[in-house]
Amino acid sequence: MTLRYKRSVLGIGWTLLNPILTSFVLWIVFSFVFASKLPSGQQFAPYLMAGILLNTFFSQGLMASAESIAGNGGVLTKIYIPPQIFAVSAALAALVNFSIGFLPLAIVVVISGQSLSLWLPISLLVGFFMAIYVAGIGLTLSIMFIRFDDSRNIVSVLLMISMYLTPIFYPVSVLNSTMQSIVRWNPLTSYLEIFRWAFSNNASPSGRDWVFMVVTSIASIAIGTYFFKRRWPKTVAML
Amino acid sequence: MSVIKLENVGYTYRVLLNRTGSLKELFREAVRGRVRMIDYVALSGVSFELNAGEVVAIIGNNGAGKSTLLKILAGVLPPTEGKSVVNGKIAPMIELGAGFHQEMTGVENVLFYSVLMGRKTKNVKSRIAAIGEWAGVTDHMDFPLRTFSSGMVARLAFATATDEKSDVLLVDEILSVGDAEFQKKSRARMDQLIASGAAVVLVSHDLRAVRELSTRTIWLESGRVKMFGDTGAVVDAYEAK
Repeated sequence: MTLRYKRSVLGIGWTLLNPILTSFVLWIVFSFVFASKLPSGQQFAPYLMAGILLNTFFSQGLMASAESIAGNGGVLTKIYIPPQIFAVSAALAALVNFSIGFLPLAIVVVISGQSLSLWLPISLLVGFFMAIYVAGIGLTLSIMFIRFDDSRNIVSVLLMISMYLTPIFYPVSVLNSTMQSIVRWNPLTSYLEIFRWAFSNNASPSGRDWVFMVVTSIASIAIGTYFFKRRWPKTVAML
Repeated sequence: MSVIKLENVGYTYRVLLNRTGSLKELFREAVRGRVRMIDYVALSGVSFELNAGEVVAIIGNNGAGKSTLLKILAGVLPPTEGKSVVNGKIAPMIELGAGFHQEMTGVENVLFYSVLMGRKTKNVKSRIAAIGEWAGVTDHMDFPLRTFSSGMVARLAFATATDEKSDVLLVDEILSVGDAEFQKKSRARMDQLIASGAAVVLVSHDLRAVRELSTRTIWLESGRVKMFGDTGAVVDAYEAK
């Protein structure tokens, strides 16, 4: 398996560049609007970039994971390899990219005048739970991707909605109370709050966020593996 | 002891009748209450046992379920009915070169393919030169696979798949690959593997090769076993049909 990813090492430069550029553009656009809404002592740049980094992890990891099994159909129908490996390794590859993104994020944190948190290693824990969450949804979606060609489009629309329902470039406090409660029910919000707090003390997650993170990731992988196991025997014929 | 044991194995999958490859269409049809599906029986009630060193051929018309059966043996398709038990290491040669990547070099492909088949990287590394030499592609091993001719790819895949001793070989029409010299060479290696105790399941339309190689033959028709027994009798009946 490592052999496969060896080749894409060159691509890492690009995976780094992508969130940095996106952050930069969004920073220019939104810093005028939202920067003043953050609690005092918090800078907008690291707040925004942490959000983008985590959202990139989620959306790209999910797409890669869901696509991995259909994409490797040629091999899977010739040699026996547990198909779940592909979905999980795609999620782990996204985790690696995410962790590499810590470096530019750390630089932004320091430049903007904030300091890194002592709880920084917890960020990796968030990444770990996120990878499990992604792999679980990815397994479920991979069955859909094989069965229905247009499910890809639907998923990309859903990912866009999920992006706007996550406080990536806005603070939750700017929303009205209905929207706030919707955003609070988005599991990504909890992951993001914990990540921001662990990395540079840019948020204050509640105990509920922790529970939400752990529960959603375990539920996701449990449902994903169960659904996949049940559906796979009849789906593999369509590869 | 039997290496392969199939008990009443069947494989059924569900097809939606109105060419629905899209959720949108499915939803529209569902609203109109017109979702119809049929269960397509690809294979049903197949039972047999195979001992070490034995060669079994599977014959039948196109769509009879031969490749489905082979895939079930390979573990690629989980059977929807019955039980398939394979004791020992399988070398699936369902399609030569499956698992090969165009952009990787010959050496990397051999390694990758071997790892997919569950071999130890360490053991394979020392064998790469020998594999390349047997396949006659030593000069090309460090170039990307896309520079190989299709015959070279097939030779390299065959050499890799048969390099380590396996207990079961699953072969789908690959003996007809390559030039005459390579065919002879691969036949010799197959014979050698059989002599060393490997069981072989062979799918072929080449009835002459079936007669020469296999001791017993399964004749499949529409997913069911039409006849199973000594190769001579089964092939005679198949030809007389």
